[in-house]
Amino acid sequence: MIRLEDLSVTYPGGVEALRGIDLTIDDGEFVVVVGLSGAGKSTLLRVLNGLVPATSGSVIVEGTQVVGASPATLRQIRSGIGMIFQTFNLVNRTTVLNNVLMGRLSVVPAWRSTLGLWPAEDREAAMVALERVGIVEKAYVRASNLSGGQQQRVGIARALAQEPGLMLADEPVTALDPVTSRHVMGDLQRINRELGITTVVNLHFLDLAREYGRRLVGLRDGEVVFDGDIGDVNDETFRDIYGRSITAEDMLAMGDNPASPPVDSEGV
Amino acid sequence: MTHAAGGSVRPDRPPRRPRTLGIAAAVIAFSLFAAREVGFDPSTFWEVWSNPLWEKFWPIPWDWVTDGSNVMGPLIETFQIATISTILGCSLALPVSFAMSSLTTPNRPTYLVSRAVMNVVRAVPDLFWAKLMVTAVGIGAFAGSWALTIFSLAVMVKLFSETVDGADPGPLEAARAAGGRHTPSVRTGMLPTVFPDYVAHALYVFELNIRASIVLGLVGAGGIGRVIEAQRQFFRFDRILGMLVIIFVVVFMIEQASVALRKRLV
Repeated sequence: MIRLEDLSVTYPGGVEALRGIDLTIDDGEFVVVVGLSGAGKSTLLRVLNGLVPATSGSVIVEGTQVVGASPATLRQIRSGIGMIFQTFNLVNRTTVLNNVLMGRLSVVPAWRSTLGLWPAEDREAAMVALERVGIVEKAYVRASNLSGGQQQRVGIARALAQEPGLMLADEPVTALDPVTSRHVMGDLQRINRELGITTVVNLHFLDLAREYGRRLVGLRDGEVVFDGDIGDVNDETFRDIYGRSITAEDMLAMGDNPASPPVDSEGV
Repeated sequence: MTHAAGGSVRPDRPPRRPRTLGIAAAVIAFSLFAAREVGFDPSTFWEVWSNPLWEKFWPIPWDWVTDGSNVMGPLIETFQIATISTILGCSLALPVSFAMSSLTTPNRPTYLVSRAVMNVVRAVPDLFWAKLMVTAVGIGAFAGSWALTIFSLAVMVKLFSETVDGADPGPLEAARAAGGRHTPSVRTGMLPTVFPDYVAHALYVFELNIRASIVLGLVGAGGIGRVIEAQRQFFRFDRILGMLVIIFVVVFMIEQASVALRKRLV
């Protein structure tokens, strides 16, 4: 279970990314977080695994306080949290398998991972993770030789290799085309259902949020402005979250034609 | 401006800034001032180049030059110095460079101390390092190897830490998000990305070292430079020219090989 209480994050530059967030996420939930760029979505995810330190308030993940945790405790917390990134964050110049093995860093002795001497059981765990996302045949291919969708699946496999209880996905499909986006979202949904991994996904596209989310959290200017069942969400809700009416760019299905001229919202 | 209805208007060309002319004038003025201050006189050109010294360079005594022990032996020693110091210096530079980059440093004190120390090391010229080492461990290739190891380290950390600074921090963030410790995270999340650049920089440092180790011999740090200095003292410029020809050919070949290798790497 995740429990955020009166959580605030202010960056060194003075930007208040999150303001007094209270949020509880139960085990096994699939939560979609939406909001404009700069609303605090990325910060919210990164504060859960301590990549971004909280300024005040409390973040409790699986009974452990993240705020002010020691480096060792932080590593302990992170080992149970998989993370997927918008730009995949793969090491392009090495194999898919080596990328997935990074998910085993927290359990493999430092000298072994530093020398590249990964234990057999960890290589096995990495292979199993690759099988889960259906690209185990690419294990020895250089990551840079994969398509965007395949790269994101390697990202998911890397997170799965941690055998995590919680999965954080930071705009996992923003860099992908619509068909691949649905594939990747489907993978995340399946993993959530089959393995019972609590999943929190930041999304930019509203139709994807509706299609795959079960619970929706809306962020606006660093505050939670909506938190409820996806079934209760309508265009009015999105207008509240975005602070403006919905445009074609907010939809994956309509934003998939790069040849179409940009919509001049002021001119219409 | 009839097409202003289309929403955009061509801007007027911005006025040419007089800055370029000003800078050029300042450079010329300073050059003239500097020449006068150091007593440089272009009319001495002929005086320099008509000196009988230049006649002493010809003809090249090929018998002496091609006699193995005269040139090839010391030249091989020069390459040995360059090789050992490149390997040692660049190996040391790997962890130091990671400590010196804000992306991969383990903590702030390590970052500041390593940067400060390396700035000091780099501020001391390689020739002076060689002099110091000759004083410390005596005349010979041993001193030269030490001096060039320090020189390699200083050059390499500068080049490589800047490569690391500019590398994609994403995979490193992923390694940390997965709960990795510092060293394994850098090893798995950063090293593979920058390793080809590391090897390319090391090859470049090797090229620098070969040229530097020729010069180092002049101050007693072993290698071919020692022979050049000895022949200079006997005014045997013909032999020196012969050596320079051999050095040019060999260094040129090594550099070409190194350049070709580096191109394939990055």
